Amino acid sequence: MASIDLAVVPVRAANERLRQLGAAGEDIEILNPDARHHIGVGLVHPVTVHIRGSAGYFCAGLTDGPRFVVDNNVGWGLADNMLKGSIVVNGNASAIAGVAIRGAEVIVKGNMGSRAGQVMKAGTLACAGNANFMAGYMMYGGRIVILGDSGDKVGQDMTGGTIYVGGRIVALGTDAKVTDLSSADDDELRAFLDRYELPFRGTFQKIVNAGKNLRYGKTEPRVRVIPYFEASEANGYWNTKVREDIEVKAQIGRYRIRGYGAARPLPHISDLAFRTDLTAIPADPSVVDKVRMRTLLGGRSGAKPLDLSMPVMIAPMSYGALSKSAKVALAHASRLSDTSENTGEGGLSNEQREAAKQIIYQCLSGRLGWNIHDMHRANGLEIYISQGAKPGLGGQLMAKKVTKEIARIRGIPEGIDLRSPSRHPDVLGADDLVIKVEEFREATGYRIPVSVKLGAGRVRDDIKIAYKDGFDFVELDGLQGSTGAAGNEVLEFVGIPTLSAIQEAIDALSEIGAADKLPIVLMGGVKDGIDAAKVLALGATATAVGTSAIIAGGCIACLQCHVGNCVTGIATQDPVHERRYNVPVEAQNIHRYLEAVRWQLASVAHAHGYADVRQFKREDLVALTPEAAAITRLPYDPSLRERDRGGR
Amino acid sequence: MCGIAGIMFKRNGKDAEVGKALISMLDGVQHRGPDSTGFALYYEPQEGHYRLRFYVGEGDAAAATIERIREKLQDHQARIVEQHNVGCTYAVIVQFHGDLQRFAYDMEHVAKVFSIGESLDIVKDIGGAHDVDDRYKVANFQGTHGIGHVRLATESDVAPDASHPFWATGFADVAIVHNGQITNYWKMRRRLEKRGFAFNTDNDSELIAVYLADKLSQGWKLEAALKESISDLDGTFSFLVSTKDEIGYAKDRLAAKPMVMLENDDMIAIASEEVSLNRLFPGQALNTFEPPPGTFKTWHRSI
Repeated sequence: MASIDLAVVPVRAANERLRQLGAAGEDIEILNPDARHHIGVGLVHPVTVHIRGSAGYFCAGLTDGPRFVVDNNVGWGLADNMLKGSIVVNGNASAIAGVAIRGAEVIVKGNMGSRAGQVMKAGTLACAGNANFMAGYMMYGGRIVILGDSGDKVGQDMTGGTIYVGGRIVALGTDAKVTDLSSADDDELRAFLDRYELPFRGTFQKIVNAGKNLRYGKTEPRVRVIPYFEASEANGYWNTKVREDIEVKAQIGRYRIRGYGAARPLPHISDLAFRTDLTAIPADPSVVDKVRMRTLLGGRSGAKPLDLSMPVMIAPMSYGALSKSAKVALAHASRLSDTSENTGEGGLSNEQREAAKQIIYQCLSGRLGWNIHDMHRANGLEIYISQGAKPGLGGQLMAKKVTKEIARIRGIPEGIDLRSPSRHPDVLGADDLVIKVEEFREATGYRIPVSVKLGAGRVRDDIKIAYKDGFDFVELDGLQGSTGAAGNEVLEFVGIPTLSAIQEAIDALSEIGAADKLPIVLMGGVKDGIDAAKVLALGATATAVGTSAIIAGGCIACLQCHVGNCVTGIATQDPVHERRYNVPVEAQNIHRYLEAVRWQLASVAHAHGYADVRQFKREDLVALTPEAAAITRLPYDPSLRERDRGGR
Repeated sequence: MCGIAGIMFKRNGKDAEVGKALISMLDGVQHRGPDSTGFALYYEPQEGHYRLRFYVGEGDAAAATIERIREKLQDHQARIVEQHNVGCTYAVIVQFHGDLQRFAYDMEHVAKVFSIGESLDIVKDIGGAHDVDDRYKVANFQGTHGIGHVRLATESDVAPDASHPFWATGFADVAIVHNGQITNYWKMRRRLEKRGFAFNTDNDSELIAVYLADKLSQGWKLEAALKESISDLDGTFSFLVSTKDEIGYAKDRLAAKPMVMLENDDMIAIASEEVSLNRLFPGQALNTFEPPPGTFKTWHRSI
């Protein structure tokens, strides 16, 4: 057995060594752990690791296969997202023990802190002592065994899985119920406890989901399609969309869920203009070769940056909201245009990975489809805090789209109206987030950039936190971004416009002396290369396109993404509909659109006499409306309105 | 955005190594807040004497500020018994018998007050626990109890006066360290301002301190005030409060922020993470305890 003494070896070096020893099949003991964080993170070999003392946060996190033993206590997030393998803690575990596990066996011989087993998918979390507040909170599967008392609100909002309580059930959480325990359940449980030498002579009570909150009572009715372009036109106070919305509410008796984003006029990028008259510049067919656009993104802390041929990426959209075919087409187009794809919430499929040259892998609150192996095969990692279309809310995926395959990759029960948690189990402040970011870096040997996706809300504060927490870049998403499903009022009224978002972000970074030190990828309603150029001039390092990319790939913008019957085969999981989607053709369409964006971006730069897109600056722009001027503090110049909007 | 720590010794009389213990504990959680570090320390009170520590900055401006502080002290018939200009602060001990709240609010007009108390002294500055110790010799402090804080500056500058702990402006001897965010901050603040209390920062930790000190001044027991705070304060929080004789904690109902404690016959030690407690007992297995959500507790010093 090899020994690593944390009194002399830093955790980062210890984890590198652990992985080497693991690969060589050697068992390891850790001396003087001193409750340090991230011990054993990222280990994927079936070796034994004996921690002789207490461990800190995320002990054995993001692992697959090893067997851990901890002599004393552990901190937050024990065995975070552990796939296979086991961990036995001889003392107590702090909050969120067994968070998001997907098959591991996690044994705590003492007591567990709050929210044990939050968003777990499979495996067993067993505790010989008492659990605490909200054990099994939002669990999707697997089982929790508590030999002592359950703690308050046990099984709060559990979707699947089982909780067995040997002591007293203090109080059941929302949508949890006690059900009969079969003798087969009991035998299996006791065999498990014997295996881990956990003596128990009492009787168990079994808690499962009560099934009251898994689906909306009524689903959205079929409606005559009003295309987004019509819905978002400024045609007065009462319009077709408002009427439709009222009619839908009259049928379902609750807020209405729909796809796409805000459909009302808001200050936006098109309210800005370049001072230079772009129409006066003659078209130059070889302009793309005359302007440097290559952008390296995410190398700020030594990771291998994304290498983009232009500062335009594909925005995060999930496999789940979109069909696999649509995701593959986007991935392939991103390869053809030599930029990057993004998984969104739903995990990384092999087909996406193969089709994309570079892909960012997103980690969300529910940890759906999240695992160490896909982290390793990503080119960038992204912690999703929120998105522009629905800041403060988690993803939504209606039952029709939660097919067997989608449920499998996400690790959730099939056929539920999936409402992802609104916040991460282990990120409840900037201080926790630092520790989370470091867990990802430890797990991937500091080789992959880690970014954060922020829906524009409290941008000024959030961007400072992102900088302080050492993210490699920020994906900042404004209100004009779209989504696969969200409440109509949320889409229309919750977010902050994209223009405000970038201005607040740039101001905030200046305030803390960090201007130009944190790259910002601005997204949310960017439709072409002119918008992209303006976004760069406002201070963003890059932009990302989502809505426009899927429109290029065949989307008809009918706002019905949530339904799951997308006629184009994009926003559906139904094979009948998906069959209509011609992946190679649509990949070419998206690619051609991206090339048009590239050409426009180059042309605008060239028209300014720039040889590099990084030369765009604020002074290149004016505001066409008083609102846009107030938001951006750019000079208000209505005289250019005629020039830029004439004839439109 | 931070890490917190607190300790009360039960047996070592008035001479326990509180300074050294807090330095080790805060150094242990420095990863939660590398920007600044602070300590609230409690000296043995002397009848009719108050300790004041001001933020004065450095250089000529500091000298001018100190001069203004002295004049203002004279205006209030506060006689200087002892004075030191250390780091970016000016610390004095004065004899004073008037209305403390008026005195405190008035002194704030001259310079930022870090703390006022018969026994409280708040030492805080940018840098880690050991950096601050180098400048202020916290390790020399002996007493019965104290609390401390490491800060990750996210919403305001890295500056000594934006560091924690915070004292309860206008109330002697009450200090707070807090990890979390009070979401009904403005509502609570307006409520307290209507009753005549002044706030010197927009920091929610100061609010908790004033909120509790107000209750104590109305004759509430600290324990009762903490219990009430869990209902009155909205948001995520784990905080430690200290007074001349007591130390206590409260935790929000969602258990959103961490806190680990260790109690034995010698001491009660509380921190954001177990690593701080481990520093007090290197290499030993500890029987630590995580306070459940929505709970509070106080300890009174034994002497």
